[in-house]
Amino acid sequence: MMRMRISVVDVSDTTNYSRGCRPHIVVCGLFLAVVSASLVLSPALACGQTADTSPVAASDVLQAQVQLVVGGQGIKNNSKGTLSVVGSSLQLDADGKKVSVEASSILDISTDKDNRQDVTGAAHLAAEAIPYGGSRVLSLFSHQVDVLTVEFRDANGAYHGAVFAMTKGMAAPFRKQLLALGAKTTVPLAGQAPDNK
Amino acid sequence: MKHHSRGVNSVAFPIVLSCALFLMVGHLTGQQSSSESKSLQRFSASSIQIEAPDAGNVPLPPEFRIAVYENLILQIEKTGKFQHVYRSGDKDAVNAPDLVTLRTTARAFTEGSQKKREVTTVMGATSLTVNVRITDHAGQPIVDRDIKGKVVLMGENLGATYDFSKKVAKIIRDTF
Repeated sequence: MMRMRISVVDVSDTTNYSRGCRPHIVVCGLFLAVVSASLVLSPALACGQTADTSPVAASDVLQAQVQLVVGGQGIKNNSKGTLSVVGSSLQLDADGKKVSVEASSILDISTDKDNRQDVTGAAHLAAEAIPYGGSRVLSLFSHQVDVLTVEFRDANGAYHGAVFAMTKGMAAPFRKQLLALGAKTTVPLAGQAPDNK
Repeated sequence: MKHHSRGVNSVAFPIVLSCALFLMVGHLTGQQSSSESKSLQRFSASSIQIEAPDAGNVPLPPEFRIAVYENLILQIEKTGKFQHVYRSGDKDAVNAPDLVTLRTTARAFTEGSQKKREVTTVMGATSLTVNVRITDHAGQPIVDRDIKGKVVLMGENLGATYDFSKKVAKIIRDTF
C-alpha cells in the first residue's frame, strides 16, 4: 500500500510539473519551428531567386555551370566552369582559361543522361571509414545530370571531342541553340532531317 | 652437445635447401622472362596519329566514344614515346616521316550503374571491349588486339574508358 501511495504521489507531481512547463514547451517548439523553417526555406528561396535571374532565360546568351568530364584543350578533366553560347561560338571558362569552339566547326552534338552522386571527393573518402559498409548508404543519394557531347574540328583539321555534365534539362537548350547557329548533328531535332558529317 | 648440433643441422638443412630451390626457380623464371622480353620486337616511330573511334555495330553512346578518344590521346602523350601525337585529320601528320596510326573499333559494351556497383559491390559493372590496331606507315600491323576497359566497384561509368586507355598506354610502352 505504501508503495502504491508513493507511486500515486509521484505521478501527480509529474503531471503538475508537465502542466506547469507546457506553455514553455509550446513557446520553445514554436521558436524551433520558426528557426528551422527559416533555415530550410532560405536556400530554397535563394535557389528560386537564382533560377529566376538565371541567364538561361535570356535568349541571347545561354550559360550554365558545368563539369568538363573530358576533352578540354589545356583545361583539366573534371574541372568546373561556365559553358556559354556567345555570339556564334560555344565557350568554356574554367581554371582561369577560356576555350572557344565555332558552331560551324561542330561535327556532331548530342545529349544524354547520367547520374552523379551527391557525396563525392574527400567526403566520400571519409565516409569509407564508416563501419559495416555504412558508406554504401551514401551511394543511394544521387541526382540526374545531362551530358552534352560535342565533336568538332580545329583550324588545322584535327578532330576533338568534349563531354560536359550539367544540371538536368540544360543540355537540350544548348544543343538547340548551337544547331540554330550552324552546328551539325547525326541525331536531328524532332521534325528535322539529319546532317551529313 | 653432439646431440644439440645434430638437431640444429636437421632444422637448418631443409631451410637452406628450400631457400636454394627458391632462388634457383626465381633465377630460371627471371631468365625466361628476360628471354621473352628480348623476343618481343620493339618498334620505333617518332609520331603517332590517333583516329576517331569507330563504334562498329555496338551501341556505344557518344560520350563513351569521345572519352575513349580523348583519354587515349592523354595517356599516349603521357608515355613520352612519341615526339608528336596527332589527332585524326590533323594536316601536319601528312609530313611526319615515320608515322604510325592507331585505330579503335568497339567490339562490346555493357553500361552498368554506379549506384548498383557501390551498393551491392557485385553488380552494375561497366565494361567495354575495343579492338586496337596500330599500323606502320606502310599499313603493316604492329599491334592488333582486343582490349577490355572496365569499372567494377568505385567510380563513374566513363571510368571504363580511362581503364581502357591506361591499358593501351602500357601496350605502347611495351611495343615502342
